[in-house]
Amino acid sequence: MTGAQAAGLPGREADGAAASAVKALQAEGRLAEARERYAELVGRHQRRAVRIAFHYMRDSAEADEAVQDAFVKAYSHLASFREELPFEVWFTRILINGCLDRIKARTRRSRWFAPMPEGPGGQQDFAERTAGKGPSPEDQLLARERRVALTRALARLPERQRSVFMLSHYEGCTSREVSAMTGLNESTVRVHLFRAIRKLRVLLADSTGAGSSVEKRRVNP
Amino acid sequence: MSILNRLRLNSHLDDRAMAAIWTDSTLAGTRASHPHLGVCTACRTRFASFSEWLDDVRVDAAAEADEVFPPDRLASQYSQIFRRIEAGERPARVIAFPKFSTPLTSRTSHASRWIAAAAAAGLIVGVGVGQMMDLRHLGQTGAARIEARLAKPGGPAVLPPTAASITATSRDEAFLSDLDASLSRPSVPELRAIDDFTPRVGEQPR
Repeated sequence: MTGAQAAGLPGREADGAAASAVKALQAEGRLAEARERYAELVGRHQRRAVRIAFHYMRDSAEADEAVQDAFVKAYSHLASFREELPFEVWFTRILINGCLDRIKARTRRSRWFAPMPEGPGGQQDFAERTAGKGPSPEDQLLARERRVALTRALARLPERQRSVFMLSHYEGCTSREVSAMTGLNESTVRVHLFRAIRKLRVLLADSTGAGSSVEKRRVNP
Repeated sequence: MSILNRLRLNSHLDDRAMAAIWTDSTLAGTRASHPHLGVCTACRTRFASFSEWLDDVRVDAAAEADEVFPPDRLASQYSQIFRRIEAGERPARVIAFPKFSTPLTSRTSHASRWIAAAAAAGLIVGVGVGQMMDLRHLGQTGAARIEARLAKPGGPAVLPPTAASITATSRDEAFLSDLDASLSRPSVPELRAIDDFTPRVGEQPR
């Protein structure tokens, strides 16, 4: 179990209580207290939101802006939040919609503007090429190659498959939650996840060269 | 046990079946379970390896995002979120356009307007009075005007006539009078006939 499941009900109950409290404080005009209470929610969901946005956008600056927008929008529209839905689901939907809007805008822009040439080694951003402290250079290189291969493979998935895979696998959301976040029905979510895994398996096996026989292998008794 | 179930139990799982088992367990939020996995060690091992691969994918993806967003970047994002929220809650400011350094309507502008009007009125009155004074001066006699100009201390330096200049002027006038008289009446009887023939200036046709 991961993500939301690991957080369990207490986390969700706390989210629900905090969201209701913020809503009530906003209605009473006690805005400073409302902000203070909302800080709890931001603190609990920020890391997760950043990961989702980054995997959607593949650009740190745009992911940063998308997360900020989502938290600000969620705060200002908290009056429309229904308590029967988990805050996490409601917020993630806002975040995903924001990311998709940004991707659409970026696609439109890319039709008109030539892309910036990448830096040495194909890195785009200084922050992105800052090395970690722990692992050795070889491990870092291998990890980097793995991530590049994974990123390329994910990029080749259709948008819905990618969304479902990220939400269910990275964030540990159930089919019901993914359905609420993406607007797809539960059986469609299942189909998309299944296809995403199968395709990733093939793509990553092709890119690494290892395990290419895994796909076709069938062991008979 | 039916033949189908027996076949299902005995046949090894391929990648497709494993993906299906994994998908169902992930979406349901439960532990993966399949009858064959309970009886076949080889497939259990393969499924464990399959799950491990997917876990590695998740860990790699999370590590990549965490590397791009270290704690200090998250902290600055956090403060930026609350700055934006606070800014959104403040009442909107209306910015005047075009913007003047001082407000368009104020008490000082009224005062300056009154001062300007008073100055203009004073100028008009001054010009009017000046005109009236000039007219009064026109009404005076020429001699008085001259006297007044002469009496003016700041006026042009005009010397008063001396006794010699006055005597010379009267002598000239007497000479001219005598000339006029002699011309108007001929005094020599012998020349009177010639004088009669001579045309005079006043009699000349124009």
